[in-house]
Amino acid sequence: MAPPQDAALAGLGLPPDRLDRLSQTVGMPVWSGGAPGQTAPDRVFLLMGPAPEDAIDDRFAQSYAAWIEVADYADDEVIHLIDEAMSADIFASLTTHTAGGLDLAGRMVGAIARHRALPQVKREDMELALHEAITNAVVHGNLQVDGMKGLSVSALDRFAADLTARMADPAFASRRVEVLISFQDQGAVVEITDQGIGFRGRRKSKPATTTTTTTAKASGRGLHLIAAIAQSYELLDNGRRIRMRFAL
Amino acid sequence: MDYGVEYRDQEAVARLRGRLTFNDHAKLRALIQELLQSKGKRQVVDLANLEFVDSAGIGMLLIAREELANADKQFVLRSAQGQVKRVLSVAQLGKIITIEE
Repeated sequence: MAPPQDAALAGLGLPPDRLDRLSQTVGMPVWSGGAPGQTAPDRVFLLMGPAPEDAIDDRFAQSYAAWIEVADYADDEVIHLIDEAMSADIFASLTTHTAGGLDLAGRMVGAIARHRALPQVKREDMELALHEAITNAVVHGNLQVDGMKGLSVSALDRFAADLTARMADPAFASRRVEVLISFQDQGAVVEITDQGIGFRGRRKSKPATTTTTTTAKASGRGLHLIAAIAQSYELLDNGRRIRMRFAL
Repeated sequence: MDYGVEYRDQEAVARLRGRLTFNDHAKLRALIQELLQSKGKRQVVDLANLEFVDSAGIGMLLIAREELANADKQFVLRSAQGQVKRVLSVAQLGKIITIEE
């Protein structure tokens, strides 16, 4: 894809020579904040190397068009992500480890609010829908941790132990979660994608054996909340991708 | 999420602050333990200063209710505001847990 006019790359914790090389390959200049009075490019794609969580979190408060964590990706994989970012209005690709440590949904809704007016209630509702989708991608998709089964402290303990163990395992924690947001005339389409094994590979969950009603289960409420907030949603790629539409 | 618990004669009041999400399992675990050990029959969780709750947070509150019911204690959610109030309503939690304004 040809780079858009007035787009640039920025770096955080990335070796300058690598940033320069990527900049030349994709044909976008490097933007490093600019001199006083200099106008920022319309769209700046941030490439993030190793950096403290609070430094990454700080960058999410700035108006980039994309936040791309480089992690162990080679140049061609990073370029592929930049291509994806160019097809969206707002884009993020983070490892599960990084995504789990910051409030990604709140950050993404903050980015949406820099493009479109979002009344407080709408903002909170969208944040919940994105948060549920991102949590599904992180917890059930990438980390392959089952929800809390049953209404007991032991179900909570099992969930906590699985979550902690998988987050500490690079084979799971380095999988990516991707957020792609595109604005349309009257709304926005938000896609959240994980790198898990999808529905087919997951163990079929057994029906609840407790006598509690459906509404009293400890897990499985996320999609219900998304359905109540979004105009519509679709599960794609065997459950690895959710596409939600919101009126704005 | 953070919380503080105030103990009275017949009830304990736990005040939650901040955001209650799937990442707060250890805090919820500790809170359930504290409420189980308190003498009061009535355990109130005050949500006035809770800003955000997700579906896993709802699940953890249901686990708290169940564990306390098994210990013959009453569990009440109180003073939910804004986003938290709307989520409790959408999840129809009032059918399962006593919710007070």
